[in-house]
Amino acid sequence: MSQKKHDEDVIITTISRLMIPFILLYGLYVMVGTEGAGGGFQGGTVLAAAFILLVTAFGINKGREKMPESWNALFKSLGLYLYAGVGGLLCIIFSLGKAQFLNYCAIPLASIIGGPATRGFWVSHVVEVGIGVTVMGAFVSIFYDLARKDEVLEEEER
Amino acid sequence: MKSLSLLALICVLLLAVMFGYVIEDIPAFGDANSPPNKYVKLFSVDAEDSLVSSLNAGVIPPEIKNRTEEIGYTKENNFPTLDEGKYEINRTEGGWDVLVMKDELYYPGPEKFYFIKEEDGRLDIYRYSIPVRWEEKTIEETELPDMVTSGLADYRGYDTMYEETVIFTGALSVILLLRREERL
Repeated sequence: MSQKKHDEDVIITTISRLMIPFILLYGLYVMVGTEGAGGGFQGGTVLAAAFILLVTAFGINKGREKMPESWNALFKSLGLYLYAGVGGLLCIIFSLGKAQFLNYCAIPLASIIGGPATRGFWVSHVVEVGIGVTVMGAFVSIFYDLARKDEVLEEEER
Repeated sequence: MKSLSLLALICVLLLAVMFGYVIEDIPAFGDANSPPNKYVKLFSVDAEDSLVSSLNAGVIPPEIKNRTEEIGYTKENNFPTLDEGKYEINRTEGGWDVLVMKDELYYPGPEKFYFIKEEDGRLDIYRYSIPVRWEEKTIEETELPDMVTSGLADYRGYDTMYEETVIFTGALSVILLLRREERL
């Protein structure tokens, strides 16, 4: 019902359609890798900003189609699990309890590419992605919950 | 009410003066050799000739070793101790660097631990602070060109993990407070 009611300005929707892919790409660039500036927290926030722009331009129902809230719940748990669960558990299990929690040298990858390279790879490609995914899921979820309030009020008014 | 706002004004002015003093007092930006970035003073002993010659010969005198263990740099507290053959001493400008082999499972190499300086007839023993390892060993230990990433996610991994948990908990709290329907 609110799809029709929502005023879709042609300028805003066109610009949003143009901008959103680039914002997502930029978010990925900030989040992954070590050459550029930024990190997981910043990249996740940029990714969340893309979805917030989508909701602002097209309405909350279109936003829920593109990014359902079940995905949000999945993302923000998955990121934390990547960091604390996989990283920590891999170290402890594969070193049979000798290595400390979050000591990435104990991951079996270290026997292939060496300990320091494993630490670098894990930190910049797994841990940062975990942080970014969690931050994105959390921010989008908070935004959806806040946006729902208006929708409920509109239903009550009519 | 008037006296209250006067008090607030005085507090603000005092804070401003204090911040001005602090800005004057901090070392120049980017000074990697400033004492807070470099080392912490532990204690000092009289510079007797036997101590100095012993340091020059590459052996830590027992006085210094015992004092460091009294302070708490012992094996029970997970600090590498100054045992025979587990350290090396380098003569540097104005003092001696003591590199200790750290008993870490994956990084057993030497690390800068103590810095001994001779001044005014006394030997000052300093402890290199943690950022020194971070600055000097990032490339060697993580092969990351970016010091910030390794510091954030590796050397301070616990801190970042719980920051992430804080954000996760915040999102969960908002869900519990604001989400009314059964949709997840």
